[in-house]
Amino acid sequence: MIRLEKVSYSYPDGTPALENLNLVIKKGEFIGIIGKNGSGKSTLALQLSGLLKPQAGRVMIRGMDTRDPSKLPEIRKFVGIVFQNPETQFVGRTVEEDLAFGPENLCFSPMEIRKCVDMALAETGLEKYRHRSPKTLSGGQGQCSALAGVLAMRPECLIFDEVTSMLDPESGISVMEIIKKLHRKGKTIVYITHNLEELHDADRIIVMEKGKVMLEGEPKSIFSDISLKTLGFDLPSLIELAETLKTHGVIIPWEKTASPQSFAEEICQLFLKT
Amino acid sequence: MQEPVFSYVPGASIIHRLDPRTKVTAVMLLGILTFRIDNFAGIVALFAFFFVLALLSGLPVKVFLRAVKPMMLFIFFIFLTQMFFTDGRPFASYWILQPSLEGLEKGLKLAARFIFLLLFAALLTASTDPSAITCGVERMVRPLPLRWLGISSFELATMMNISIAFFPLLFERVERTKAAQTARGMDFVKNPLRSIPALAIPLLRGIIRDAEELALAMEGRGYQGSRRTSIHELSMHKNDWRALFMLALFILFILIL
Ligand SMILES: Nc1ncnc2c1ncn2[C@@H]1O[C@H](COP(=O)(O)OP(=O)(O)O)[C@@H](O)[C@H]1O
Ligand SMILES: [Mg+2]
Repeated sequence: MIRLEKVSYSYPDGTPALENLNLVIKKGEFIGIIGKNGSGKSTLALQLSGLLKPQAGRVMIRGMDTRDPSKLPEIRKFVGIVFQNPETQFVGRTVEEDLAFGPENLCFSPMEIRKCVDMALAETGLEKYRHRSPKTLSGGQGQCSALAGVLAMRPECLIFDEVTSMLDPESGISVMEIIKKLHRKGKTIVYITHNLEELHDADRIIVMEKGKVMLEGEPKSIFSDISLKTLGFDLPSLIELAETLKTHGVIIPWEKTASPQSFAEEICQLFLKT
Repeated sequence: MQEPVFSYVPGASIIHRLDPRTKVTAVMLLGILTFRIDNFAGIVALFAFFFVLALLSGLPVKVFLRAVKPMMLFIFFIFLTQMFFTDGRPFASYWILQPSLEGLEKGLKLAARFIFLLLFAALLTASTDPSAITCGVERMVRPLPLRWLGISSFELATMMNISIAFFPLLFERVERTKAAQTARGMDFVKNPLRSIPALAIPLLRGIIRDAEELALAMEGRGYQGSRRTSIHELSMHKNDWRALFMLALFILFILIL
């Protein structure tokens, strides 16, 4: 679906950001990317969406090379990207107008544009804010609106670059819920974060460091990889707790560490058994 | 929160439903007309015309008051300068100033013209979705050879839209930078001169970053500065042609008045 082959990229000022990176993203996958500040996550996101072109190697998006300008409109239709700051993603004076921006660029007819906008509003639950200015929305709603603006272009693959990092935890969770729903509906998701907790249900996690892939695997194996700690990442507290319990001979299955609820249920079960 | 001047007031009146191109054309022609009329009969006729349109639009009176109020002082100033500094028969004498009758007449006319411009502009912006105005303007300038200026009508329209969406962000940034620098001990009241660079440099850096992020988001959503469509379906209906016809009649009537 998206394939990076030996991709290297340095910014015009000479800062190296990606080095010889190989990566394949499969259709319908939920792939999580973590890494510290400056590890090249955002640069990777821009490469995946064709907004930056590799200096060496190539990025193939559904068989289209991102360096081929004639393929760019197709690529834009296929991958959408949502950034960190909702405020700098608004181009319209009302939510509706803002959501129309993408489909307008794709030269859809007014009727098609309305359909796309209505669909995106429904998916994100923003119908009642249709005529509001995006600037009057709360952070969480604003990020939903930014997501809707990308959804309105009906992309098959969505890239999220630290979309919850400027939000309070509660709205972060509600944005995450929408993203998970989109994944269940078949969208391919690339989710960048520095919060490991958000990646519990990912199909695959990639750990980045200095423009390279350090670790790659299922959340279960990544979370239990000791090198993660030496890289300076905090494990989600529930995982940490499960690990500690394990040293005391109490085994909590991986699936139960997804939420405090399931964790508590498991503990109660064990408690009743003894 | 107070609504900004010249903001859109959604509605479904005849005026609301006219094509933005009809309304933009009408306002431009009426704007020119206000500066062509030279007698009080014309002014009265124009006011009557505006009154009818305003009634048809169903817009609240405050929409128009709000448009004129902030400019009142400026208009009054123009009126005074005209009255005092136009040569003619004086009707009174204050110290060295002698307001003339001719000046009074000229001042009143000029003030009326400015007020008309504001009123018609308010009628247009309050009865038309702003992006529909942009879309209409884009359609109207599309045939012009704008490429000479190195810009397409699509870019022009997007620029109009973006700048309106981007300005509030700019002001917010000024406030935020000011707060941040105050927190670092900068005193803007005591040291207005010294504080300018302390404000300007981080501000500029912030604005450039905002603009870069915005540009990236726009590109990501497929913006190329080339042909694009609009969510607004523009079509000239019977009512639009009728309105333009009536406008033409009115203009003729005024000109021969
Ligand atoms: N616009 C830019 N110009 C120059 N260097 C940049 C730019 N953006 C990022 N970098 C540099 O590239 C490297 C990778 O940055 P980035 O991809 O933003 O990492 P992350 O998103 O993981 O924090 C960093 O060293 C960063 O300083
Ligand atoms: Mg980043």
